[in-house]
Amino acid sequence: MTPLQLFLQQLANGLTLGAIYALIALGYTMVYGVVQLINFAHGEIFMVGAYAALTVALAITGAPWWAVLAVCALGAMALCGALGWATERVAYRPIRSAPRLNALITAIGMSFVLQNLVMRIYGATDRRFPELWPAVRWQWGGVTVTLTQVVVWGTAALLMVGLQWLVMRTRLGVAMRATSQDVAACALLGIPVNRIIAVTFALGSALAAVGGMLFGGYYGTINFHDGYLTGLKAFTAAVLGGIGNIPGAMVGGVVLGLLEGLGAGYLSSQWKNVFAFVILVCLLLFKPTGLLGERVADRA
Amino acid sequence: MAVGHRARLLRLKSVRHFSKRGKCLTLFLLLAGLGGCGGPREPVVKIGFVAPLTGDQAPHGQDMLQGARLAVAHALTEGPVIPGHSLALAPLDDQRNPTQAVAAAKKLVADPDVMAVVGHLNSSCTMPASAIYHQARMLHITPISSNPQISRQGFDTFYRTCVTDDLQGPAAALFAVRELGASRIFILDDMTTYGRGLANEFEKKLKALGAAVLGHEGITQGDKDFTPILTKIKALNPDLLYFAGMFPEGALLIKQKADVGLAARFMGGDGQFDPVLIDLATPQAAEGIYLTTIGSDIHQTPTARAFVAEYEEQFGPIGAYSAYAYEATSIAIWAIRQAGVKDRRAVLATMKTLKDYPGLFGPQNFDEKGDSLIRDVGIFTVKDGRFQFVKTAAWE
Amino acid sequence: MAALPLVYPHPYHLDVLTTSLLYALLALGLNLIVGLTGVLHLGYAAFFAIGAYTYGLLNLRAGWPFWPSLVPAAAVAGLFGVGIGLPALRVRGDYLAIVTLGFGEIVRIAFTNLERWTGGPNGLLGIDHPRLWWPGHGIFDFGVASAPYYYLVCAAVILAAALCVRLSRSRIGRAWVAIREDELAAACAGIPVLQLKLLAQGCGGAIAGLAGAVFAAKQGTITPDSFDFILSVMVLAMVVLGGLGSVRGAIVGALVLGSLPELLRGFDQYRMLAFGLAMIVIMRLRPQGLFGRSSHASAA
Repeated sequence: MTPLQLFLQQLANGLTLGAIYALIALGYTMVYGVVQLINFAHGEIFMVGAYAALTVALAITGAPWWAVLAVCALGAMALCGALGWATERVAYRPIRSAPRLNALITAIGMSFVLQNLVMRIYGATDRRFPELWPAVRWQWGGVTVTLTQVVVWGTAALLMVGLQWLVMRTRLGVAMRATSQDVAACALLGIPVNRIIAVTFALGSALAAVGGMLFGGYYGTINFHDGYLTGLKAFTAAVLGGIGNIPGAMVGGVVLGLLEGLGAGYLSSQWKNVFAFVILVCLLLFKPTGLLGERVADRA
Repeated sequence: MAVGHRARLLRLKSVRHFSKRGKCLTLFLLLAGLGGCGGPREPVVKIGFVAPLTGDQAPHGQDMLQGARLAVAHALTEGPVIPGHSLALAPLDDQRNPTQAVAAAKKLVADPDVMAVVGHLNSSCTMPASAIYHQARMLHITPISSNPQISRQGFDTFYRTCVTDDLQGPAAALFAVRELGASRIFILDDMTTYGRGLANEFEKKLKALGAAVLGHEGITQGDKDFTPILTKIKALNPDLLYFAGMFPEGALLIKQKADVGLAARFMGGDGQFDPVLIDLATPQAAEGIYLTTIGSDIHQTPTARAFVAEYEEQFGPIGAYSAYAYEATSIAIWAIRQAGVKDRRAVLATMKTLKDYPGLFGPQNFDEKGDSLIRDVGIFTVKDGRFQFVKTAAWE
Repeated sequence: MAALPLVYPHPYHLDVLTTSLLYALLALGLNLIVGLTGVLHLGYAAFFAIGAYTYGLLNLRAGWPFWPSLVPAAAVAGLFGVGIGLPALRVRGDYLAIVTLGFGEIVRIAFTNLERWTGGPNGLLGIDHPRLWWPGHGIFDFGVASAPYYYLVCAAVILAAALCVRLSRSRIGRAWVAIREDELAAACAGIPVLQLKLLAQGCGGAIAGLAGAVFAAKQGTITPDSFDFILSVMVLAMVVLGGLGSVRGAIVGALVLGSLPELLRGFDQYRMLAFGLAMIVIMRLRPQGLFGRSSHASAA
């Protein structure tokens, strides 16, 4: 392998990791954009999405792979959408008028509940994730790219564009953006604020479900504990890109994935998180509102 | 008037708040009561059991708990351990957190019914807890914490049924160099007390044997993507990759090693010796890997055959640590039964007389530090999607 | 409270209480940063770790006994608070949360990786327990007993609480609250915002450093995984549960969240599930925190 090939390979590695972070980061950023609230239970919803996809994939046999993939995605999205909606009703709406940080408690509570429920239902041991698409790989001048990676990149890009369109071009999106600016004024204008917020949670959670499915398919193993570390990284990515900003979440995810990938590949695997965070802190010192950021809520 | 009204409103509000705060505290006390309630009391001797039963290492803790439960069930078929007393296992969760491990240890020590403790999976938990058991003169047997430092503290209450890392690491190194002919080796560990300790022992012996260590790096437990570090290792062109850690990360390393086209052999430590490893890594990728294990093949040990058959019938494929939890619990029960009285000092004194206990792995004895004298390190490989015993390794 | 070990000398319950009080000490420190100044800090466990390692290293490498080590433990952690705050406070709001989160992770990973100095993942073993000269008894070693640590931590909490109450009622405390409520207005009123924020970071860090030294002396063994992100989040949850800015609240919040997991041991493998549910229920009953004032409800 020449240094250039090695670099390109590492670029592909980091890009895939980044695309997965980005997909989960979209959910964080959507919810934040509308209610200025960090949904700390989002990582667990992503994990539940992976398990839901696993259950569906194990239930259907004999269908072509693309049909299985589609059913898995829809099933996981439906379940997680409902879960996101329920989370908002149970854990966030009742305390919306309290200081913003108080939702942290219910969010952590929700995380513990979801994690331990999944552990009781599916067992504590890691589960093998079935292969949802054929194992195709291409070689270009010594650089290997797999179909899995292409699927991950494609889905992430597609969902981001779709989401951006939804937020910018549809009535729902306009209502969402209006809600994010002034809840009281929106309510006066007859916008069903509660419903808009619930839909935002459901949408973000459905995106996390797709992330969970791709995560399972790409790495091949899932565990009830996966939501924690990946969720934390995705949250970091969302903030890095400028929280509340949809293209920002994408950029943040990819930058974080590349930092980690290149850090582990060129410097040191055990220092990679330090490397990633140091760069991240420096980036924020020069761009204190994230790479593409706009919104700042300055109070705890 | 308006002021008075406002004041009344405020007062009403504060009363309401108080009642809500009261409700919270009532709920808190109620939960506390629920957590603390117990059944009717009858004379009982308890064996404490501590391991991570929730959290990311719950799989190992659950495996151990099942082994310990089976040991208690077997003991019960032989009649009461102490006349007039029933026998119970008191399982506690430490979430692999040293602070919670200490709390659990204090809980067990404070319970006058607890006569012995089997426990703690992680060396970082066993270490501080062992001091508490020692002070309470409580017999403490760890099934699996393999860090050599623990028995060097000089606690006479401490026993351990597994081989320590300073034997397993060198055994792995000898096998890698002498039998596999490895000369260019890259070492990975999971940056835990266990993984780093084992990897350091492995590296030390490798250097003494004159093999080239291309690098020694840590990965993060819970991470999923190791392709960047594996791609980097591929460029160094080693002939063996050694990983000291647990099976979830081990499986991903094996799988992604195949994905990035790294041709080096894979070798690992006992934390990955679990049938799930092969399933998670996919049988194709796992074919031909080598693992060192504490003790030789449990499936081929004549003294363990009945146990393995019964365990697998009840709980499914046996985990790496179940047998050790069973062994430790059985020995603790033996000591209580032989002592014949409900007294911790008597149990401990009886334990010191143990000689050739008929255990799962053959006659069990302990040295003056409390470490088991059964010091076999087994070597396994994966063939046709199953673990296959290769040999018992030498460590000198 | 002080006579508790005399009337009720159950070592396990005392130990749970001691650990909860240690959390209360942390919550008091974090309350200065988050509750009073309004800076969202997600890496607070790092100061706790720095204090613990300072005492551990001084004791093992230089033979320092416990009591004089408290000074450097608090000082080093406090200096880190100021040192990190200096660049980090350029960043605002939730972006600051990521910077502090990064700081927490960097410190933990550094303690794990700097094996030559910190013992790596093995941690520091055999740290001395505190010794005290007691009239008539000679030298008394705390050992692994429960009651002495209970007294020690109780005294520390009382001291810290007194300090916090004094501080919050002083000019400095009022200035902190002013910064939390409206930073721009505070600056216009001539309050030296940056210096005061740094002071809060320093005081908060020093209290955590003190708690860390006590923790190291109590455990006798410290490993980096005792100081993970979850600890930072749980301490933050204690402050929030108690009510942001309330000294009483921080202590009660820490006692509730610190002892609940132990009290719920009767639920066996469902205990973390029950813990999660309890967090949600408590917060729904009391959205502004146990001792929180609803006057900050608008701060968002």
